[in-house]
Amino acid sequence: MLRHIKTNWPDLLHFQPLETPFPAPERIFPGLEEIDPETFPAFLDEIGLVGMGGSGFPASEKIRASIGAHTLVINGVECEPGITVDQTILLHHPLWVQAGANACAKAIGATQVVLAVKNNPDHISRFRVLYPEYDIAPFPDRYPAGAEKLILKKLTGKMPPPGVRPYQMGYLVQNAVSLRAIGRAIVDGIPVVERPLTLTMPSTGFYKNIIAPLGLPIRDVLEAFNLPFDPEAHLISASGLMMGNEVGLDDCIEKTTLSLIILERSKLEEKERGCIRCGTCNTACPLGLHPYALVERIKKGRTKSPAFKAQMTECFLCGVCSAVCPSHIPLIRTLEEGKQCL
Amino acid sequence: MPIASPFLRMGARSSGMVAWAMAALMVPATFYSILYHSLFIFQMIGYALLGMVAEGIYVLIVRRKLQLNSIASGLTVALIAASVPPSMPFLPMLSSILLAIWMMKLPMAGIPLRFNAAMAGRLFLMLVYSSHVVAWGTPTADVISTATPQELYRSEGFALELPQLLFGRVGGIWEELFLLVPGSPGETFPLIILLLGAVLCWKGIVAWRTPIAFLISFGITTALCGNSPMFNLFSAATIFSAVFIVSDPVSTPMSKSGKIACGIIIGVSNALLRHFTYYTEAIVYAVLLGNLFTPLLDRIAFAAQGWRLQRRR
Repeated sequence: MLRHIKTNWPDLLHFQPLETPFPAPERIFPGLEEIDPETFPAFLDEIGLVGMGGSGFPASEKIRASIGAHTLVINGVECEPGITVDQTILLHHPLWVQAGANACAKAIGATQVVLAVKNNPDHISRFRVLYPEYDIAPFPDRYPAGAEKLILKKLTGKMPPPGVRPYQMGYLVQNAVSLRAIGRAIVDGIPVVERPLTLTMPSTGFYKNIIAPLGLPIRDVLEAFNLPFDPEAHLISASGLMMGNEVGLDDCIEKTTLSLIILERSKLEEKERGCIRCGTCNTACPLGLHPYALVERIKKGRTKSPAFKAQMTECFLCGVCSAVCPSHIPLIRTLEEGKQCL
Repeated sequence: MPIASPFLRMGARSSGMVAWAMAALMVPATFYSILYHSLFIFQMIGYALLGMVAEGIYVLIVRRKLQLNSIASGLTVALIAASVPPSMPFLPMLSSILLAIWMMKLPMAGIPLRFNAAMAGRLFLMLVYSSHVVAWGTPTADVISTATPQELYRSEGFALELPQLLFGRVGGIWEELFLLVPGSPGETFPLIILLLGAVLCWKGIVAWRTPIAFLISFGITTALCGNSPMFNLFSAATIFSAVFIVSDPVSTPMSKSGKIACGIIIGVSNALLRHFTYYTEAIVYAVLLGNLFTPLLDRIAFAAQGWRLQRRR
């Protein structure tokens, strides 16, 4: 029952521009000449790389654990709806992404590189030109498609067992923006000091992908683009519409800020009504779980059964159940509490 | 409630769902009203308002607050009104409304085991005022007991043809006897109701799994019993119940597999009841049986999903 999302975005299927109104960072150390599996994770620590797809997991740990994996997956599937930063980076900065991907593949000894992108024929034909030596795996344009679990499900044909990390199955999934940062450090000698992100204000039709320096207050970003922001009427959602959180004007751009989306408060206020037991949350759950049954059990404190534990472990709090609920019940808040019952 | 993610909302909203279903129910009622019994639509609206007042009184007494937006009760009562003859006297109708709203619908709110209140009200009428329930009027003389297509088929082996059933108008030699296909106002235009059901599914207001499982399993079981599936699907209240009764979200399971299982239970039991018992349209019993299984089916689906996840580990 997942419908198309009704927001007045510009047409996301077209190529989105990439703008950098901020001064470019300076080269502070020589690039990397030789990729050595021994020293490569330490190099990643040195440039300060974390998972730029939103997880914030230290990239060096992931590389260390994945040595011996046979496939590197470049994750260019946007996790959140309305964000195009991954595919824009893949389109505009292919050299850096390729440098990063080749370095990662060499460091872990991967023989195959797969480029996972959204299923858009125009973009895919362009990617075939830009990345001739990589395999391209198209993914449907729906949320959630960019989670590691669902990417592996598509690539291996079956759902990875609960609790198994991708490297245990011989895959390393790296976000396109992370790989761009690695490439930037190797080629130009610039550590992770900037963050590509989607800045959009649907009510005015403003939509741009920008590269902003880390640590810049959001106030300055908005001023650079002259956005009519009013704290009373608007709300800034960082890192996406589904799993993101509200940020203030004085918060800074962080390494995990995927996007800044300015929404109107009046459109978001919804009153919670009683459950009509329609089962829309069950139908929409991408993992086939039973969200309302889980919520009922959490509220009653019946959290000891193995069936409950198995389902609660599997849930990755994507928020689809809350988004489709016709009664606007905040299921995801209760499920977050339930994660602590495990 | 602070604003928190997810900031996106998709799909239908529960506030408008009942209004949509009500509007859909009004379409066949209006046709019936125009063609056969001109007062019926006003009668139905009046009963629906009565149901809303009944809910208002209940809420005022039990929860000590005044609440008037109780359109769900209105829908329940409208469904009762559409499933009995328009000639039903006021007193039985009132007692059935009060039973459905005060005993079946409101006190059971919020618990997993729910019965379809409209079906409960109709069951009461069938058991207590059975002579009124079968008094299907004909337009020539207002209240004469006539046989519905099912009863005709049962007693005289005469099956109305499909076009007659679909458009609710009898032609040929039987036209002298009754102009319309006898039956309750809701069930007379199966084709229109089927289209309305498709519209409701497309709008995301009813879930498609239960009704489709119901119709398919009903058709197959009827064929296995040696009856004509098409005749049985389009006569009596089968399509009407599939669109308005079986698809009721409150009293059917939440899980996907549970929805299909519940639809199959209702469909198979309805077909078997029609074939083996005295009742010509046993949908009331079949739906209440399916409702009885609902909490069990949900629990089985939950445990099965947990077991599947554990086995994969």
